[in-house]
Amino acid sequence: MDKQKNYIQLIYRLMVGLLSIGFLYVIWPYISSVLLMLVFAFLFTTVLLSSVDTLERKIRNRGISVLAVTVGLIAAISIFIGSFATNLADQAGDFSQRLETESFMDDFNSFIDNTKAKLPDFAKGAGDDVDAASKLNEVVGNLMSTLLTFAGALGSFVFNMIMVIIFTIILLLNYHQFKKSLVGFIPNKYFEVGLRLIFNIEQQVSNYLRGQLLAATSVAIMSIIGLYILNFFGANLTLVIFIGIIAGLANLIPLVGPFIGMLIAFAVALMNNLGNEAAQAHMMFNAIPSPFYILDVALMFIIVQQIDNNFITPLLVGESVGLHPIMVMIALLIGGTLIGPMGMLFAVPAAGIIKVIGHEISFVTKNAHLL
Amino acid sequence: MKSPLWSNVFKNWNSQESEKVTALKHVPVFDGLSDKELVEIEKLTHERTYQSGEHVFKNKAPSEGMFIIISGSVEIYLENAGDKNILAELNDRDFFGEIALLDTEPRSAGAIATTPSTLLGFFRPDLLSLMERNPALSSKILTNLGAVLAERLRKTNELLPKSDD
Repeated sequence: MDKQKNYIQLIYRLMVGLLSIGFLYVIWPYISSVLLMLVFAFLFTTVLLSSVDTLERKIRNRGISVLAVTVGLIAAISIFIGSFATNLADQAGDFSQRLETESFMDDFNSFIDNTKAKLPDFAKGAGDDVDAASKLNEVVGNLMSTLLTFAGALGSFVFNMIMVIIFTIILLLNYHQFKKSLVGFIPNKYFEVGLRLIFNIEQQVSNYLRGQLLAATSVAIMSIIGLYILNFFGANLTLVIFIGIIAGLANLIPLVGPFIGMLIAFAVALMNNLGNEAAQAHMMFNAIPSPFYILDVALMFIIVQQIDNNFITPLLVGESVGLHPIMVMIALLIGGTLIGPMGMLFAVPAAGIIKVIGHEISFVTKNAHLL
Repeated sequence: MKSPLWSNVFKNWNSQESEKVTALKHVPVFDGLSDKELVEIEKLTHERTYQSGEHVFKNKAPSEGMFIIISGSVEIYLENAGDKNILAELNDRDFFGEIALLDTEPRSAGAIATTPSTLLGFFRPDLLSLMERNPALSSKILTNLGAVLAERLRKTNELLPKSDD
């Protein structure tokens, strides 16, 4: 009789579970963006909470502490973006001026001819009918239309960011009350286990973020040093500090991120060295053709990535999450498939949280008689 | 007649301290803490209500922190082969379970509410986060906690020769 009752309970639970998953699937398109905003707000809150708490203890006013920390952060980000955009715009303006001059077109065509001459015989015929300079004009035209689409996306991004900032401020203001209210819902029986679960999740997220931020900082510093070293050998790269910081921040997105800094460095190397004969004919280690120092830049970023992947991240991040590398890869693939690059950004901490919850559920199941 | 303006400006001057702060003042673990510090501790505590006969925790259950009785009564007991051995009966402003602030060992006895009770819980996760945010305050609490445990050990030592007799 009891066995039959257990089966009925199991079937009932399965049905409720399946219905919940189905319901979530149906409403997901409507709630996913808001949930993503809340997740971002929670992560920002986790990063900023200790600064707000410390400031509050000194000035005895939570509101002003939250305002000071968020305004300070927004100001720092705005100054960085503004200064980067101004420098990049100056560089792009300079580049477009050079683009319009006849001599540049000749330079570019001669570079293409030189490159073709170095190609193996079987590849020489490819693309003979294409005028390289007009092709470049076409590419620049396409780039402009892409930029317009980008401006539209930027509007939506700004709106989302404003919402995330508002959510973050609300969470920072009331974090401890929210947490207390959440704890208030836990039944007496599971109270202490519930508290431990919340604490472990907080620790997991905060350790992961702290590790990631330290890893990002080290990638930024190593990239900046690497780019300066390349400049020492004549790479003529500008915006070095910006490229380094962007490489560090992009490093937060696993797998895809490391290439973002590299691409910006490529663009800057190309813009600065077009028309420079020596840069066009540059040979890496005096053996491998590396026009515009492209391969040198790539090699430098690969070395930085290897140091980060093999020494820094395992030391700072790996242990904080306590996941097997295979689980990290699976989590990244699932996150990337579900939400794209953002999913990859959150995949590892989310997997860590699921692991903590699983551990506590297993503990509660095994020790149900003690609760 | 009192001006509403001035009474608003000075509203915090004669404010009554909360029942929770009053209860915290009676707990040796929070001895020597200023009113401001007690208010900070109050923010970290969790108020829970228990029905008569409801377990606060069972023996060998996972432990996370201590409880202070705001109102009601709690029985601390040990059960051996069905025999219930009552170790203590605690009432308003008594406290129990403070060892759990220091270690993660399971509870060494059970606690059950014998009347409808309101308890204030102060837990290890909150003490750990306080240690990061306010080391000075948390070191005062840890020193007090050490003193409470030392006192208990001294009393146990005094009882040992008697039990040998």
